[in-house]
Amino acid sequence: MTEALDLTGRDSDAGSEEVVLTPAELIERLEQEENLRRAKKGDLKVSIHRMEMERIRYVLSSYLRCRLMKIEKFFPHILAKEKTLHEGELSSLSPEELVFAKQYMANTETYLKNVALKHMPPNLQTVDLLRSVPKPDLDSYVFLRVKERQENILVEPETDEQRDYVIDLEEGSQHLIRYKTIAPLVASGAVQLI
Amino acid sequence: MDAAEVEFLAEKELVTIIPNFSLDKIYLIGGDLGPFNPGLPVEVPLWLAINLKQRQKCRLIPPEWMGVEKLEKIRDHERKEETFTPMPSPYYMELTKLLLNHASDNIPKADEIRTLIKDVWDTRIAKLRVSADSFVSQQEAHAKLDNLTLMEINTSGAFLTQALNHMYKLRTNLQPSEGIQSQDF
Repeated sequence: MTEALDLTGRDSDAGSEEVVLTPAELIERLEQEENLRRAKKGDLKVSIHRMEMERIRYVLSSYLRCRLMKIEKFFPHILAKEKTLHEGELSSLSPEELVFAKQYMANTETYLKNVALKHMPPNLQTVDLLRSVPKPDLDSYVFLRVKERQENILVEPETDEQRDYVIDLEEGSQHLIRYKTIAPLVASGAVQLI
Repeated sequence: MDAAEVEFLAEKELVTIIPNFSLDKIYLIGGDLGPFNPGLPVEVPLWLAINLKQRQKCRLIPPEWMGVEKLEKIRDHERKEETFTPMPSPYYMELTKLLLNHASDNIPKADEIRTLIKDVWDTRIAKLRVSADSFVSQQEAHAKLDNLTLMEINTSGAFLTQALNHMYKLRTNLQPSEGIQSQDF
């Protein structure tokens, strides 16, 4: 179902700090809007379809808002990652998002230069955005729901006692854990962030 | 996620209505909705049911777990157990609120139901508070939270994760590093 597909992407994005891959077919849904313009008969039918369309539009736009917020928050790191993509690896940004990120970076640099850096002594006129903008915090805690059963996930507590233990993730169960431990599972779709 | 977004997700749940109009099958993007005939029950998503009710085009049937006896049993079970018991619906809170706000005339003993649901909610949130407290004080790294609904996780989750993140940062910076000198003021 459309909304389920959208919301999986949306939930994951809202819960984690990384930018997860965009399924491009979400955009096709809006094209279906064209089909519904023809149905003129029955005011009720039209209004029901229109309501559903509004709901879908809300989901898509809040998804987009979430991604743009992440881009604005972490833009130097995202652009650096894009530069180092190997052959055949998919970008996690859509082409428009990439353009947005680059423009945002250029604008920020211009802004900093014109407002402050121009007036600094010559040897202090550059700012390393990659170092000054905080990285996504992969150690933050997240809630997740398990879609596929996983075995032997290593959990390392941070206290001094050596208490590494392994847990199994049952299908359908929910957990609270540090993002780094389960990052590969999110990418593979085995767990879903809440 | 904020509460409005959780409610938005809850609105996809199916509920039974009895329409007073007729309409043939409609093909929505999310799925097909069966033909509507006056007097015959049909299942629709909650958002549509609420809208039709507001336009006085249908009557809502409460879900079978939304009865006083059933909810009393659930409430007592929840109070007895130390862990979280499974709830009749993953969106019980949102369903009750929306149905009682818009269709209390279709639901018998609406006020009692409201009180019962509030009791269940309070019990569960108290349990959540206690377990969050022990999670932090014992510096656990992982918690299993089956049978918690999205609304409950959402209510306390943002605060809990932020607190845990701070604690983690403080803990991992405990290693003494050589070469750091404190400033003299």
